[in-house]
Amino acid sequence: MQGRDKDMDTAPIRSIREIPPEENVLSGTPACAGCGGLLTLRHCLKALGEKIVIVNAASCFTLLSIYPFTPFKNSWLYTAMACAPAGAQGVRDALDILIKKGKLDPEENLKVVVLTGDGSAYDMGLSSTSGALYRNLDFYYICYDNEAYGNTGFQQSGATPFGSRTATSPPGGVRPAGTQLQKKDLFEIWNSHNPPYLATISPAYPVDLMNKFRKAEQYKGPKLFISHSSCPPGWGFDPSQSVSLAKLSVETGIWPLKESVHGKVEHTFVPKKFKPVEDYLKEQERFAHLFKPVRQEDILKSIQGMVDEYWRKYKLLP
Amino acid sequence: MLRLRFHGRGGQGAKVASRVLGTAAFLDGYNVQDFPLYGAEKRGAPITAFTRISRENIMERGVISDPDIVIVIDETLLSDPKAMPLSGLKKGGVVFVNTPQSPLETQERYSITDHVITLDLTKIGLDMIGKPVLSSLAAAVASRIAGIGEDALRDALEKELSGIISDRGILEKNAEAALYCYDAVVPVQMKTTEAIREGENVINIPFETARVSSPAINATGNTPLRRTGNWRVFRPIWDYDLCTRCMTCVARCPEGCIQVNEDGYPYADYENCKGCLICARECPVKAINDVREMHSQSEEGEL
Ligand SMILES: Cc1ncc(C[n+]2csc(CCOP(=O)(O)OP(=O)(O)O)c2C)c(N)n1
Ligand code: SF4
Ligand code: SF4
Ligand code: SF4
Ligand SMILES: [Mg+2]
Repeated sequence: MQGRDKDMDTAPIRSIREIPPEENVLSGTPACAGCGGLLTLRHCLKALGEKIVIVNAASCFTLLSIYPFTPFKNSWLYTAMACAPAGAQGVRDALDILIKKGKLDPEENLKVVVLTGDGSAYDMGLSSTSGALYRNLDFYYICYDNEAYGNTGFQQSGATPFGSRTATSPPGGVRPAGTQLQKKDLFEIWNSHNPPYLATISPAYPVDLMNKFRKAEQYKGPKLFISHSSCPPGWGFDPSQSVSLAKLSVETGIWPLKESVHGKVEHTFVPKKFKPVEDYLKEQERFAHLFKPVRQEDILKSIQGMVDEYWRKYKLLP
Repeated sequence: MLRLRFHGRGGQGAKVASRVLGTAAFLDGYNVQDFPLYGAEKRGAPITAFTRISRENIMERGVISDPDIVIVIDETLLSDPKAMPLSGLKKGGVVFVNTPQSPLETQERYSITDHVITLDLTKIGLDMIGKPVLSSLAAAVASRIAGIGEDALRDALEKELSGIISDRGILEKNAEAALYCYDAVVPVQMKTTEAIREGENVINIPFETARVSSPAINATGNTPLRRTGNWRVFRPIWDYDLCTRCMTCVARCPEGCIQVNEDGYPYADYENCKGCLICARECPVKAINDVREMHSQSEEGEL
């Protein structure tokens, strides 16, 4: 096992006051005002520190670095949508070989961090991720899930929730729900590979996020994170609501905060009382057709039903 | 033929404005073209959109480099070297600027000698629609200056916006605010000549091999130079009498542009704060207020 990084503090924190003050993603990026994914990334990189290489599949976040600007203090590599985990393998191997040959001081070792949207994680890059998990590649994977192909105008992806509008699933006569398919359960897909560490995170729960990274640090092999990332233009809400919506997705039970260590799943936060899913849905333009011009009771019921069913499965709801 | 060029920042509605104007002119019986031009950036980057309007068939293609009318939706673009909204404007042309300032003040501030029309579209958007959405308002202003009829504008708004906005109420508010802007603009007699201003050249970039021209970034952490502070419509202002130094706002800012002073109180880097106002919404004691940003009243470059 490569020695634990001395830069990274692994003791859990208890409050936002203990979040490290250093910024590793600087301001001035072209990301939209109020981007929940950017808030996630900001906290992830606070946890990971500067000694990393980001391998970034084409997405909104490949635009964070537009020549000649970059918000990062670390190196960054751009890959095609399907192959960031394969790119990460190449970078990891190169670093290992350099260290073995004595050309790189082990103190200068870098963590390899894959950064992709849901389009890559849930759809196009699924097979290359499966390959990296199968080979037990020592890397981090951060997926910021804004539930569609955001960068190209918000088209439906495997992460798009049932009942929402995207550019390619507009609600209409033949399909009043908009998106008719169910969101894939990427957590379970990845978990079936038995990675040492896997967690869901949220930009609204930075303490939980930070502690998950600190815990993951001890494992060699894949360490994977999926963040439910509020997206003002795609979801249709005012940028100031970005954190409150990310919080609502957890409080309604739509986005469970959990982790899995070698396949064993634990929830890290269970709301004492679940809020109705409507509290979350009604704030977003992408669900507006469920309420207006007529309330689509059957669709609203089935969304609530799916959430209840999930929590019952874990015996966390009567 | 009338050639119009719209200048805005990504997300402000320049593209839709040129579209609505194009449709209005078409419904008014003209031949038209409209199309946008933008780069890879998501938001905030300068965006240009173009409309050609003519009684004759339009055989011209490509971007408009010699407009008769320029519509500046974002005032800060006037001092942005990446945008240069006035470049190529024909002598005798018209410049519209979205600003709370008067035409005279605007002419002086930006050394414009052409005819300037101003209107505070942002305020009208906030007051009448409840949001700083400017596409329909800018389209209305442009329609008035270009001499397009009110009915055609009304129909064009319905046709173009009903596909984007599902809420009838918001759609109607947009139309109402647009017609208000249409009436607020005093039409002008335009006599443009084909002569283009002097001293403005197209810059040709020489061909370089990939080793020279490929985009390897060798700097770290330099995006703050981009100054995204000029995206703001509202500025967050801290009230230290109320602030409990809880650090919530610091943890919630996606831009990471809230720092803490020696006494433990938070303050924003206004050069890059995008004005999302998450900090104001999340502050548990409501110690952060928002005030309308007046870019024209802040110091040049200093926000
Ligand atoms: C193979 C391939 N198809 C399409 C594209 C165009 N493309 C670039 S970014 C993007 C959207 C990616 O969506 P996602 O991964 O969810 O990230 P987001 O844009 O939402 O941040 C698409 C489709 C591409 N780069 N490569
Ligand atoms: S489209 Fe959504 S995910 Fe992409 S930069 Fe904008 S807010 Fe972020
Ligand atoms: S959230 Fe409010 S009270 Fe807390 S530090 Fe910020 S301004 Fe002060
Ligand atoms: S308005 Fe948004 S960008 Fe500006 S300081 Fe507040 S949270 Fe940060
Ligand atoms: Mg996405």
